[in-house]
This record gives sequence, C-alpha cells and structure tokens, in this order.
Amino acid sequence: MNLIEALEISRKPVAQDAKLLRIFLACGFTPLHLQNFLSAHLRQLFPENRIEIKTGLFGDLAGSLERLDAKGLDGLAVALEWPDLDSRLGIRELGGWQVSDVHEIATSVDLQLSRLQRALKTAARSVPVVLSLPTIPLPPLFYTPPIINSAEKTKLLLALAKFAADLSKESGIRILDSQAIDCVSPPAARFDIKSEILSGFPYKLPHASTLAQSMASLLQARSPKKGLITDLDDTLWSGILGEVGVEGVNWSLEHHSHIHGLYQQFLSSLASAGVLVGVASKNDAALVQQAFDRKDLLLKKDKVFPFEVHWHRKSDSVQRILKSWNIGPEAVVFIDDSPMEAAEVKAAFPTMDCLVFKKDDYQAVWDLLANLRASFGKTAISQEDAIRLESLRSAAPLFDALGQDGNASDEFLKRADAFVSFDFTKRPKDGRAFELVNKTNQFNLNGKRFSESEWNKFLADPASFLVTVTYQDKYGPLGKIAVVLGKVNEKKLYVAAWVMSCRAFSRRIEHHSLKQIFEKFDADEAVFDFQPTDRNTPTQDFFLELAGEPPQPGLKISRAAFLKKAPPLFHHVEGS
Amino acid sequence: MPELHDRLTRCFASVFPALPPDQIHAASVESVPAWDSLAAVTLIAVLEQEFNTQIDLMELPELTSYQAVREYLQRQIK
Repeated sequence: MNLIEALEISRKPVAQDAKLLRIFLACGFTPLHLQNFLSAHLRQLFPENRIEIKTGLFGDLAGSLERLDAKGLDGLAVALEWPDLDSRLGIRELGGWQVSDVHEIATSVDLQLSRLQRALKTAARSVPVVLSLPTIPLPPLFYTPPIINSAEKTKLLLALAKFAADLSKESGIRILDSQAIDCVSPPAARFDIKSEILSGFPYKLPHASTLAQSMASLLQARSPKKGLITDLDDTLWSGILGEVGVEGVNWSLEHHSHIHGLYQQFLSSLASAGVLVGVASKNDAALVQQAFDRKDLLLKKDKVFPFEVHWHRKSDSVQRILKSWNIGPEAVVFIDDSPMEAAEVKAAFPTMDCLVFKKDDYQAVWDLLANLRASFGKTAISQEDAIRLESLRSAAPLFDALGQDGNASDEFLKRADAFVSFDFTKRPKDGRAFELVNKTNQFNLNGKRFSESEWNKFLADPASFLVTVTYQDKYGPLGKIAVVLGKVNEKKLYVAAWVMSCRAFSRRIEHHSLKQIFEKFDADEAVFDFQPTDRNTPTQDFFLELAGEPPQPGLKISRAAFLKKAPPLFHHVEGS
Repeated sequence: MPELHDRLTRCFASVFPALPPDQIHAASVESVPAWDSLAAVTLIAVLEQEFNTQIDLMELPELTSYQAVREYLQRQIK
C-alpha cells in the first residue's frame, strides 16, 4: 500500500451509525505516516467501522503510556524504537556518543524498559495491547566496527529480549515477531534519515506500511482455524500405498522424501496444540491402518480422528469429517497432492481453504507450512485444546445413541455419569469464556462478537454476570464448553450472550445452565437478546422446544414455563 | 502533460480531502487552511512516492501552491 492509497482508504465514507473503533498509537516519534497507514489497514480489516486513532506526546513514549486512560479504547498499538529507551540511541539529540556514554546507556535502557513494562502491564488489564519492538537498526555509536557484535550492544539486545519475554506472558499483550517483520521489510531499507531529521518520522514509507499492517492484523485478533484434513499418498508420505505396500511408502532423507516427514512432524505439532487432524484418502482401509501402525510414522494414529478411507468422492469424506467434528467448512483446511481433488472439495465447500501439497517443490511445501502456522496459530494453549480430540472421539457412543430427533434417551444420559459445574467468577483466570463467545456459531444466542474492551466494559457493570460451564462424563472430560453472559435486575435476567461448544450438544447442558442461573439469581423471568443467524439453528431449536413457537428477538421465558418444559436432568452438579 | 496533471490532482485530493475538485488547481498555502506543516510533510511524502523522486530540500520553501509543485515536477521529470 502506498501513502496516497492509504489516505484514500482512510477517507472512504462510512455509515453515519458506524461503530467507532478507538485505537491509541503510542510512539516517541512523530506518528505521521504510520498513523495514516494504520488507519488504512484497520479500515481494510474493519470496513464497517469508523477508525479513530489518537496519539501521544513526541519524545515521551513512556509518559504517554503512563498517562493513558485505556477506558473506552479498543486497542493500544505501541511502536517502540531505540531512542525511546535512551535519546542517545537516536540521532535527533547531539552530544552523546562518547565511549563513556556507551557504558551508561545500558543502565538507562534497563530503567526505561522497567518503566515501560509497568505501564504496558497496567494498560493490558483494560485494553488489548500490540507492541512492536525496535525495527530501526542501532546508530553507529559503538566503538567496534558494525560487523562486530560488541558486548555493549549485546547487553542492550539482551535487556530488550528479557523485556519482551516477560511481556509475552501477559494474556493481553501481543508482541510483533521481529523475524516475521524482517521477512517482509528488509532491515536496511527501513530508516529514512532525511525524514527523521526534517520531520521526526524515522520510517521509509514501505516499512511504515508493513509495520502498520502487522499491527492492524494483531489488533484484529482473528480466530484460528480448527481442523485440517489431509490426504495420504504422496502427501503424508511418498508413494502410493496400494502399489508399494506398507513398507514401501517413505518419508526419509535416504529416499529423498524427507519433506513428507517434515509435513508429518508439522501435523503432529498442530495436533498437540489442539488442532483437529482428519484423513480423507482414496485407499484400502486395512492397509492404511497397517501403515499407521508403523513405529516410525511421526503422526501417530491416536492424533488423527476420523479416518475416512474408501473409494468415494473426497467431498463425501470431508462432509462426514465435518459432521464428526461438528464444525463449519470455513474453520477447516483441506490438503491433497492432487489439484483435481483439491478443486473437487473446493467446489463442494467454497469457504474451505483447499491447498495443494506440491511434493516436488520443497520451497512451496515450506511456504505451505508457514501459511498453515499462520492459519492455525494461537496465542496460548488451553486445557480444552489438550482434550478436544479425545472428547470428540469419546462422543462417538453418544452420537450413536441419538434418536432420529437428535436427542439421547433418558436411560443413556442417566448412565453417562455426568458432572457439570457452574463457575460464576467474572474475572476467570484464562480467556476461554471470551474465546468461546467469539468463535462459537451453532449454539449461539445471536452471533454477536465482543472486542476485548467491550467484554471488559460489560463485566465491569456490577449488575453483570458471567457463567462458565464445565462438563465431564464417563466418556471423558469436555472442559469449559458453555458460557452465559448477562445482567440481572431485581428478579429478571437479561441474557446478552449464550454459547455452547458443539462438542457438548445432546447432553441437556443448556437446560441445566438455564436452570442453574434461574436458581442462582432467584429470577422469575429471562429475557434473551436472541437473533436468528444462518448458523444458530441448534439455538433456535432449543427455544422452539421450550417456547413452543419459533423464537423472536426479545424472547422471554418465565422460570415456571421453563421448569414445566425442561426434560429430566441427570448431571451431578460439582461444587454444589 | 495530462498524465502529470491527473496524478498531481490525485495527490492533492488525498492530502486535502475537503478541497473541492475544481479548486485544486488554484490551491496554495494561503487559500487552503488545512495546508499546515503536517499536511506539507504528508504532501511531500505522497509526491515523492507517487513520482518516484526525491524533492530537493532547497526547493521546499518554494512549493507552496499547486502550480509551483506542478512546475517543479515538470522540471524534474523532463
């Protein structure tokens, strides 16, 4: 994006009632073109929003952050550069490059980093923070030749690395990866000395655009993909299983097929981070099972669910896998070495990413792995990530037991030995409740998504409540699988958000959740901020069953009516 | 040079969005209140990128109107 395009994009008209997205751009230099680019990239990511970017004082990054009132902000973007840590690390102040200065600088940098760390941690409690570490190379102030990594310079880099490592642990802070920026913006082409001297803006325009784009993308906090469906022959391994046999397929250096081993290792890594991995292969099912028994396969059989191995169309296999996972095609990536198979699946599921595994093009496979990490990457691994696959696999007996109406029998549920717990903590230790509300589609009251600041603002209201529901039965734990967010006024509940993971369907957890909330707040009636969406049919069916008619916005259900219609509940309530 | 005229007009329109299109050619520091020091820096950056040129520091004080900028660019591009 060049500057003229950025200005034009930023100034495109928005609807009068467009939602305002308030971002604070904190930097010690003149924000100038970085502000313009950030505004434009945010407009591209949030085309329905009006973007407002506020900035701080020139030359006082730490002060700007310390004075920041984060309430009302939707995001804080921080562009840190070396002069913010000590003005002698910049060029606008003269008189500080003596050998004695070089020794002092490390001490003052430590102090300034501590100050910034405190301010950023405080801000992150109220608003999502995106931090860019210094992108402009250090000036030629060290007495060593630039090609030698001096002790003093290493000290500065170490202090910065410690600062970043500490802040990376904060759930509200996302730090731009310096290597990722290096890949798209060459370090030697970033600093604009003329602009820095004349206007206090240190970046060449392409670098300003790249940095702004990266910051905007982190502020967007996109939901990661959930599942990957892979082909086997000439994809997960080299060779056609039906032709060369179980011992003939390979993925090793000596067979020049190491790239397949790398792919296996990568899929295993994704699975260990909670990504669902399924197989869709036109193959002999018994042979595939034998191949997966090979000890040297890096993607173990227990990391894959389900296997769709037969000679039918790939799109049929994908359809069945989606049903087993109970997620939509837009959350899934399909990979096959055959462009034709990828195209066939894409035609059936246009919103699915269908990618070709180009086994003879190592660079293409390497790029594929990087792109997959970008699609599936998450900021933290939750307890639910660790048990997701097992809970899906263990749910198979339940789904087998479902009747034609999609409901399990009383007898089956009674024998499930289920435990449910309701946590009313408004400030949970992890971000699971927030994550569930922002990624669940099917059992979702209205499909509304919350920004972190909206979420925090809602919960700051003393009348608000948050319920996080955890479930397990004899088939295994499901973890935290449902969230209800609302407000209570006298004896009336106002439910603003209600979601439940698709893994938890058909267990009457939704009924128990509502019963529990009525009881907890001794409420007589619940008013639901219900809105039909293309995807929330399970929610509509639930309310249809309770109210006896299709739900409408503003739906109300009395406690008495609910208790009359609610089916028997067999869960043990933990902690009660 | 109709192409230069169109590109220059687009540059001015992007930096001064409130300026009516028919007044762009008469625009100057005196006639456009939004033409402050920040806008001047943005205009120079837009021009340098759009015309792939470096604007001479000595010329900056002279570039105070659409016509002056146009004449400067005509000399540069020639």
